[in-house]
Parts: sequence; structure tokens; C-alpha cells
Amino acid sequence: MSQPRSSYAVGTGLFIVLGFAALAYLATQTSSVANVHQGDSYTVDAQFTNIGQLKERAPVKIAGVRVGQVQSIGLTPGRDVADVKLSIDKRYDHIPQDSVATIFTSGLLGDQYVGIDYGTAKQVVAAGGTLARTKSTQPLEEMLGKFFGAGGVVDNVGGSYSVTADFTNVGTLSVGAPVKMAGVVVGSVQSVRVDPVKLNAQVVLAIDKRYNKIPDDSAAAVFTSGLIGSQYVAIQPGGSPDALKNGDEMILTQSAMQLEDLIGKFLVNGSPSDKKDAGAGNK
Amino acid sequence: MNARAPRSNNAVIQSLAQIGACGLFLLTLLAAIPRSFRYLRETIRQLWFVGAMSLTIIMVCGLFVGMVLMLQLYHVLSIFGGTSASGMVVALSVYRELGPVVTALLFAGRAGTAITAEIGLMRATDQISAMEMMAVDPIAYVATPRFLAGLIAMPLLCCVFCAMAIFGGHLVGVTWLGIDNGTFWANMTAVVDVRTDIINGVLLKSLAFGAVVSLIAVFQGFTTPPTSEGVAYATTRTVVASSIAILALDFVLTAFLM
Repeated sequence: MSQPRSSYAVGTGLFIVLGFAALAYLATQTSSVANVHQGDSYTVDAQFTNIGQLKERAPVKIAGVRVGQVQSIGLTPGRDVADVKLSIDKRYDHIPQDSVATIFTSGLLGDQYVGIDYGTAKQVVAAGGTLARTKSTQPLEEMLGKFFGAGGVVDNVGGSYSVTADFTNVGTLSVGAPVKMAGVVVGSVQSVRVDPVKLNAQVVLAIDKRYNKIPDDSAAAVFTSGLIGSQYVAIQPGGSPDALKNGDEMILTQSAMQLEDLIGKFLVNGSPSDKKDAGAGNK
Repeated sequence: MNARAPRSNNAVIQSLAQIGACGLFLLTLLAAIPRSFRYLRETIRQLWFVGAMSLTIIMVCGLFVGMVLMLQLYHVLSIFGGTSASGMVVALSVYRELGPVVTALLFAGRAGTAITAEIGLMRATDQISAMEMMAVDPIAYVATPRFLAGLIAMPLLCCVFCAMAIFGGHLVGVTWLGIDNGTFWANMTAVVDVRTDIINGVLLKSLAFGAVVSLIAVFQGFTTPPTSEGVAYATTRTVVASSIAILALDFVLTAFLM
């Protein structure tokens, strides 16, 4: 009678120990315990004009090292300025008063965090103090926009003249795509076809009659709006006194950038093809 | 099918009555907890039966869930060159959803059915009535220990399941597919949060599922018609009702806890 009873007890005890061991394993080995159980900390205010996607409990980093987290995010009373309270570890209590708090994005698509760049002031920022110098988040769209000169939509352009431009590669440029100068739509792509002799792409651009002072040594380039947007032709004005006329050909051209290649070099840290074999047998 | 004379032909009314009776039964169970403390040994025996005896199936299933998840994620993420993130996706999906839900479904199939069949047969062979004759409260002696055992066993089983899934993911990802070991753990620890993922995800959800599954199992056992056909029917209903309750409750809990 006592034999099975004690075996139940031992087995059950083992089961409970195993369960708690598994829990301890999950909690300590696979999670960020350090992010929750941080030691004593002090709070510092920082005000940003735009916090982007910053969230509570986002990390605060100095020189890339995590020193604390975002405690709370709110609007400064009476102003359209975000008030972010940073909870920083007591060990790092020597942050100069003129340090700059910046909102960064980890990687291209990662989460946002607050980075603090040390200033040179002798006084350190006290608990409850304010970091006066801040830099807000840079929306990715704006940066890319500056990069690619994008923005705007295709206009219906009436009264136009045609010029041709030869590209070695037009990417996915399609008929009707906008032609832009200084980011403003000045025309549209009339036709895209392959030149049978020169074996390159011949693009006919229909440009609004209003813009008849475009120098004839201007360059045409195929750009992409944003990361995954559509492609368009940008005209970069040259310095010639003569203007482009109907039927002219633009000599200086820049073909479509292979964005995939650029990003591929950026992002891919292991070519997908070389690991294919390992999993294929398990399909 | 049903041996009982249906009190109402309306299926909706009937299932409402079932839910109501189940709720009342839960109150009876909870009220019997203090009285069941003197049958602590019975609770431990049940914990052995529903918990320790379920370990094998839970561990094997956890291992394979982790392995297949990693395999699938690897193939999808390799398109974007993001295979280093697969460890963290395995951890998050197991902790938040798959761990508690799959453990609870297995638990309903492994332990819930056994509880229902056992209690149903006890009723069919008049053991429950015999207990009453001997002034032993069958709720405190039979129902509550099984309910408590399920309540305690589920979170522990779920932890074991999750740990095995992580181990399986590590086995496939790091050992076979060649994801860097350091990246695997670093990405995982960077995103897994003790409060939202482990306490809310693993522990709270599995506790709730454990309560629901053991309540349904014990309730079905106690209300089954005392015939062999009735016991078979009640056992089936335990699995069906538990599965529906687990998945529905999972949605509600996720909506609340996230």
C-alpha cells in the first residue's frame, strides 16, 4: 500500500521540479530578464518634436550600450512637443547636461530607441532633470524622398513636345510614368521600346509646353519613388543656352538603379541559396 | 444518441443549460476546495496521473512543434535574408500561442478524456453513490482533486512544452541549418519579455486553459448518463467542448493580455 503511494509522491515531485526548471529556463535563458529587473534608476526628461514610432520601454543607449529604458511618453502640457521620460540606471549618473538625446532606428526596419551623445559640460544632469538638446526622429519617407527626389503624382499634361532618351536599362519604367524636374512633374513617358539597332531602350518623353526652356544638354535618369515605389524619369538640367525642342534626343542618360542589388548588399547577411539543400530533404 | 430524455428539443436552450450547469458545478467545486484538503494525497495522485504521466506526449510534441516551426520559418525568412530572426519568431509564437494552445489540446485528449471516463464509470458502477453512503463527499474526494491537479499541471506542462520547442528549434536551426548560435539566443533574448510573453503568455493562458479543460472533464464525468453509451458520449464531448473552449478563450485572452 505504501509502495505505490510513495512512487506517486516521488514522480509527482519530479514532475513539479521539472516544470519549474523549465519555467526557470524560459525566464532566464530565452528572455530579457535584465530588461525588467534593472537596478536603481533615475528619471530624466527629454522633449522631442516628433518621436516617430518610439514606444514605452524602448531602450535608451549610450554609445550603443543599453543604459535604461523609456519610462513614459506624453505630450508636454500646453505644447505640441512630446515629453519622454527616460529611466536610466543609477550606475550611469554622469551624463553631461548638454548631452544630446536622439531618436534612432535600429537598422532599416527595426524598432526605435533613444541614443544619448555625451556633451562636454562639467555639470551632470540630475535626477528629474531635463536633457535640453534633442534631435527628433527622421521619418524614413522624408529621407528617401530627399534621396530619390520623389513625390507627387502623374499629371495629365496637355500641349506637350516629345524628346527621346536612350537608356541601357529602364527597370520597370512604364508608359505614363511621370517625368520630373526638381521633383515637380513636367510630363509623362509616352512610349518605351527597344531600339532594334542600338539594342537599348528608347524612351519618348512628352514634356509640357510650358517647360520649353530646358537646356538641351540636360540629363535624364530613371529613379524609383521610395523604396518600393514606381519608377519615373528625372531631368537634371544642364547649362547649355539652347533649349530642348520637339524631336530632340537627350544624350546624357542614367539608367535605372537596381535597388534590389543595393538593398541586397545591405541586408542579406547570408545568401539564401547556399542553405537550401539542408532543409530540402525534410520537405 | 443521448440516453437522457431531452428536457428541451431546442439545441440552443440545451447548450445554454449545459453552460449554466457547468458554471454552477464550478462554484460547487470551488466551495469544496477547503474540504478536499484532507484528501491531499488524492490530489497528489491525480497530479501524478494528469501531469507526470502526460510528460512524454507533451515533450515529444513540443520538440516536433519547435522543429517544424523552425524549418518552415527558415524557408520563408531565407527569402528575405532574415534567417537570423527565426529563433525569436519561434520563441514568440510558441510562448504566446502555440505552447499554451497545443498543450491544452493535448491535455484535453490525454488527461481530460481519462478523467471523464473514470468518473463516468464510477457513476455507472455506483461508486459515487457508495461514497455518499459512506459519508464521503464525492465532490471533495473525486472532483476537486482532479480539478486542482489539472490547474497545477497545465502551467508546468506548458513550460516543459515551450522549453522542448525551443530546444527543437535550436536543434533544427542551429545544428542542422547553420544559424549562428549566438545570433539565435541574442535575438531571442532581445525580444522575449518576461511579463508579456512568459507570465501572460505561457503561465496565465495555460492556467486558464487548465481550469477550463479540467472543469469540462470533471463536469462531463459527473453529468454523464450512467451507461456505457453515455460514458462514451461524454468522453467525446469532453474533447469537443474543451477544444472549442480553448480556442475561443485563447482569442479572448489574447485580446485582453496583448
